[in-house]
Amino acid sequence: MHSPSIASTHLHTPGEHHAEHQTGWARWLYATNHKDIGTLYLWFAFAMFITGGVMALCIRAELFQPGLQFWQPEFFNQLTTLHGIIMVFGAIMPAFTGLANWMLPLMLGAPDMAFARMNNWSFWLLPPAAALLLISLFVPGGAPAGGWTLYPPLSAQAGMGMDLAIFSIHLLGLSSIMGSINIITTILNMRAPGMTLLRMPLFAWTSLVTAYLLIAVAPVLAGAVTMLLTDRHFGTHFFNAAGGGDPVLFQHIFWFFGHPEVYIMALPAFGIVSQIIPTFARKPLFGYVSMVYATCSIAILSFMVWGHHMFAVGMPATAQLFFMFLTMLIAVPTGVKVFNWIATMWQGSMTFETPMLFAIGFVCLFTVGGFSGLVLSIAPIDTQMQDTYYVVAHFHYVLVAGALFSLFAAVYYWLPKWTGYMYHEGRGKLHFWWSMIWFNVTFFPMHFLGLAGMPRRIPDYALQFTQFNSLATVGAFCFGLGQLLFLFNVLHTIRGGVGPAPAQPWEGGNTLEWEVPSPAPHHTWESPPDIAMVRRGLIAQAVYHEGEDEA
Amino acid sequence: MAAIDVSIITKQNQRLAIKLALVAALMFGFGYALAPFYASFCQFLGIDRANASLTQAGSALRVEFDVNVAADLPVTMQALDGVQVAQAGGQVKARFVLRNESDQPVYLRAVPSFAPVRAAGVLQKLECFCFNAMSLAGNEQREVTVVLLVAKSLPAEMGAATLSYSLQAIPAFTHKVRES
Ligand code: HEM
Ligand SMILES: [Cu+2]
Repeated sequence: MHSPSIASTHLHTPGEHHAEHQTGWARWLYATNHKDIGTLYLWFAFAMFITGGVMALCIRAELFQPGLQFWQPEFFNQLTTLHGIIMVFGAIMPAFTGLANWMLPLMLGAPDMAFARMNNWSFWLLPPAAALLLISLFVPGGAPAGGWTLYPPLSAQAGMGMDLAIFSIHLLGLSSIMGSINIITTILNMRAPGMTLLRMPLFAWTSLVTAYLLIAVAPVLAGAVTMLLTDRHFGTHFFNAAGGGDPVLFQHIFWFFGHPEVYIMALPAFGIVSQIIPTFARKPLFGYVSMVYATCSIAILSFMVWGHHMFAVGMPATAQLFFMFLTMLIAVPTGVKVFNWIATMWQGSMTFETPMLFAIGFVCLFTVGGFSGLVLSIAPIDTQMQDTYYVVAHFHYVLVAGALFSLFAAVYYWLPKWTGYMYHEGRGKLHFWWSMIWFNVTFFPMHFLGLAGMPRRIPDYALQFTQFNSLATVGAFCFGLGQLLFLFNVLHTIRGGVGPAPAQPWEGGNTLEWEVPSPAPHHTWESPPDIAMVRRGLIAQAVYHEGEDEA
Repeated sequence: MAAIDVSIITKQNQRLAIKLALVAALMFGFGYALAPFYASFCQFLGIDRANASLTQAGSALRVEFDVNVAADLPVTMQALDGVQVAQAGGQVKARFVLRNESDQPVYLRAVPSFAPVRAAGVLQKLECFCFNAMSLAGNEQREVTVVLLVAKSLPAEMGAATLSYSLQAIPAFTHKVRES
């Protein structure tokens, strides 16, 4: 039987290895190895996070005090629009795909992703897409300025920056679809023997469901922007009322994509914390099967609630009630998840290393975001809060404290496996507490701003909003500064950190990635992991019981 | 442990990938299918969609019809054509349904009012159920209409006008009819 160290030997599968001995830039350009591609995705996402973050700081700088200080209103609108698009499509989504690339084969006992060459394509579509978005800043008319939702008629009338954004979205969608096909195929066909679907790590489950969501809705967005494009240039009238179209139709199609998209950014985060909390609580995940069902029900419900983004368009009351109650229903599976995470920690032997801190921070803050979401789901309240800073506060609590914090947790959790070195725990904790405090200073006051009626997407505001806005701006700059510490921590770890990491740096990790050495060698699981080893892990995760298969 | 048979896996993978790509292509089509579906759905439910006639006309006015029923009246009233487009020089016709929910006869009058008030100068009533008092027998349901003549030139800044009806009981009239 193989011992784990076999994983590091080079047993090549035929036909896939031309690129892998290349070095320098060619290694990355022709990368087909899931670890290289994962690394590329993660660095790309980080670069986009910084780009979008600088834009956020430009927005906040303008909003430090009332009046126009730095930007013309048109450019301010371009900033908010690009910030939103870049954070969603450039930072959060690629980071999750990168994690899936890096970790899924390791966790499932597969030698690589199912389609190594397509994987290369999925990644390399991203930099041109990002370039198109950034170039749009410099064309006549500037970047799109109608918000990340691209509502017509604004988007139908905008300059050529809009066309660049549309092509960019096409590329991003294509990349997501190819990435999703790869993820689904890898998960369904390439698991180690003994690892049935209901025994996979939860991160694999959430990645699977997310990939399905993407295949279902990324083409819908692609369709919507294609209709926009033909409306703009080829005389169609999907959204142009003068030709018999209807701009509200765009909102329906967009949010049919857009609401599942919200869960595309949340479900992988749920998967990550479901890996991390059991590890640091040293207890199996509470209610594994209910977690799987909750994931699936959230995914299904997410297709039926898009209308809650459109309460203000003038919908019949029955439709409003329908969307309102279905939206509230999503709180049930989400509540199940939060309950299970807490139950996992309950009476566990917890320690609070950085990944665990970020995971707990995630649970607390995501719950706050969930509650403000529940408030907004009430149609009569939403009609008042629509397009105020309350909404901005709400979605940053779920996206920054949700998606981004879970990504930080994942990076610290798996960094020893990626680099072979331990990060500096003190600096990791400093990064957490710094981010936690300044995040709340930035976004909590926005609830009050929204309740007091400050609209979003405006470069100037009434005097009475000054104090909270100044506070939020100070918070945002401190938060942004703190992310340099994150970059420093990662670079420091890559260069040796505080010393070499063992294969299993965390006491409670029982998934397969901890069976391969740290750093994970270029080739792992060329022959599938030994069934006894798989079972040992599954038993420790309480998803398999001794002798279950024989019965 | 035997090594994975790469060729079998590859074939399975390819088959699955093709299926998934097909789903993606279908969903792209589904996005487009939403356009005609949306149009017929709105028509079926009578939901006010963006209206081409509004923008094609040189000058047009959106006319909305609103109804209120006095609290003590056992009558319901519903505008069947809630929103209409008034073309300069044209006519607008709107229908309403009145229904007496009690089994006693009721006597009532509809009191019209325009918002903004100057819309009354642009929209002239040719015929209106509000010109006369009405009586509804117990449980009677009746359709009534108003026809408006639209002025030749419409003020561009007006955009929309609302014609609102309040249904009110007429005690004096009721009295008289009862006595006779
Ligand atoms: C971390 C620091 C961040 C700060 C300080 C920040 C700040 C802001 C500000 C000030 C706005 C404009 C609000 C308005 O005027 O309507 C905004 C919009 C937005 N942000 Fe962020 N943001 C941050 C991170 C993120 C992240 C990680 C995401 C992830 C997806 C994100 C997604 C969005 C979206 C979707 C919008 C809406 C854009 C639109 O109005 O079209 N933000 N953000
Ligand atoms: Cu939604």
